[in-house]
Amino acid sequence: MNQKSAFTTLRLIIITILAALVLFPIWWIIRSSLMTGPEVGTMALFPSRWLFSNYAEAMVHFDYFLYLRNTLIIAVPAVIFGTSTAVMSGYAFARLRFRGKKFLFGLCIASMLLPPMVTLIPLYIVWTQYFGLINTFWPLILPWMCGGGAFNIFLIRQFILTIPKELDEAAMIDGAGRIRILVQIIVPSIKPAIMVVAIFIFLTVWNDILHQTVYLLDDNLATMALGLRIFRGSYGTVWQLAMAATVLSIIPGILVYIFGQKYLIEGVVMSGMKN
Amino acid sequence: MQPSPTKHHPGKAEKQEARTAKLLLIPAFMGLIFLTYLPLIAVFGISLFQWRVPGTPSFAGFDNYRFLFTEDFFFWTSIRVTLLYGFLSVAAGLVYSMIIALLLNRPIPGRAAFRTIFYMPFIIPAVATFLSWSLLYDGGGIINNIVVMFGGQRTHFLSNEQTIIPALAMVAVWTSGNLIVIKMAGLGNVPRTYLEAAEIDGANAWQRFWKITLPCMTPIIFYNMLMSLVTNMQIFVPSLLMAAGGGAGAGTVPESYLFMTFTMYRTGFINGLIGRASAISFIFFILVGIFTAILFITSKSWLFYEGGDPK
Repeated sequence: MNQKSAFTTLRLIIITILAALVLFPIWWIIRSSLMTGPEVGTMALFPSRWLFSNYAEAMVHFDYFLYLRNTLIIAVPAVIFGTSTAVMSGYAFARLRFRGKKFLFGLCIASMLLPPMVTLIPLYIVWTQYFGLINTFWPLILPWMCGGGAFNIFLIRQFILTIPKELDEAAMIDGAGRIRILVQIIVPSIKPAIMVVAIFIFLTVWNDILHQTVYLLDDNLATMALGLRIFRGSYGTVWQLAMAATVLSIIPGILVYIFGQKYLIEGVVMSGMKN
Repeated sequence: MQPSPTKHHPGKAEKQEARTAKLLLIPAFMGLIFLTYLPLIAVFGISLFQWRVPGTPSFAGFDNYRFLFTEDFFFWTSIRVTLLYGFLSVAAGLVYSMIIALLLNRPIPGRAAFRTIFYMPFIIPAVATFLSWSLLYDGGGIINNIVVMFGGQRTHFLSNEQTIIPALAMVAVWTSGNLIVIKMAGLGNVPRTYLEAAEIDGANAWQRFWKITLPCMTPIIFYNMLMSLVTNMQIFVPSLLMAAGGGAGAGTVPESYLFMTFTMYRTGFINGLIGRASAISFIFFILVGIFTAILFITSKSWLFYEGGDPK
């Protein structure tokens, strides 16, 4: 027994060191964002004076609230439409019987392996040449009205499959239609899954610099990811300001994470269990 | 869990059920057709044209492919660095997530808190992540300071061809917190009875890991390897930021940043060669397809499904 507790202590030490290493870069960004330029390059773990003025200075070049607004203009509808269409599709795949279901579900799953970069050019041509939607948010919002992504459909389906069918059947006997069952029984019981999908879509939009780069050329339309580009990653970067902007850009994601953390972990677990 | 197909004729209720299903699936169906499979066909179609915008396309057969493979020296570089980064980052992420998950597998104080910490880098957007690591990797940055402290040489990790790809793979490992959470769940599902039986038979921890835990984890490892490979091979942000740093000019990026997504972007959206960029996209698709096929084919020999055959 003694050997076992020694082993646990050893594991605890190793895991604590590793966790500290993983957290270190995050602390380093924060610490650097509060320092003077020369101090950033030192080994100091804490700023000698906490220069919150760096944030004000960074925001002179980094139009935080404009980028935040633009990102949310994409993210909010994306989350609403993406989540609801994913729930609709996931429900149909999990619960309803119809011809061609296996085939359609197969197409859906296979599309997870199709990288977005492959379809970028044809979609770009259609959105910009046929619909004239360059320099608008539409090409970044509209695709979310179409099922919310194969991965999220799959996730919702997996969650619905874990709900006992008896619940649906009891409601059926009481005369409820399929849609009513979806809204009144399924949706309330898969709330965690819906939260997860919403968070995933939010993070995807937050991260989607490839599409944002090609569709949003106007500086007034720049998103958070595009806005950060001005700080680049090479020589001559004013690090303390770049890091202040980086911290600012991370905050909304961190808030979403804290808010939905419990569900998120559960969802990631489900997402990794292909079945 | 699928209901077994029945032979009787569809009744009214079943017809209605099918109708509801179709109604609910309209958005997803539209997405699959218009945003996924038609564009996939279209990208191949466009790749057969010589098309410089703003201009009109002219049919060129496989000329774009011929050019890329025989005349464009950088294209082979592009494939090479993409594959190198893909394999390195996926392999390292796999080992890293497995080790952390194993360490957190048995009861340990603060398990949930550790899981939260390791997951956190995953939610930081790629641009922010790359900027942060640029500071760490900087010539005067902390990593170099530590290297010098131990008597090493200062290196520009992100501009030295020898170190760029390992340095970027390191960043990918840092962000692979989601894999840890998935693997922890997988470890929790390894049947205890197997492990206990092996322990009684005198197997040590090492043997139990190789003979029981790992085989039981292969389906999860397989699926996540595939998904991470597809994701990681699309690396784009470091190239975009490094190119911006070197001026809008295209040729100034170190070769190791010529990942395929970036090469496609530069060819199509900076140089306006839509046809050739589509060819790059399609080749990327074929590469992903080849790896998927290899993984599926070889998986028969190493994939283990509890209780019999894979479905």
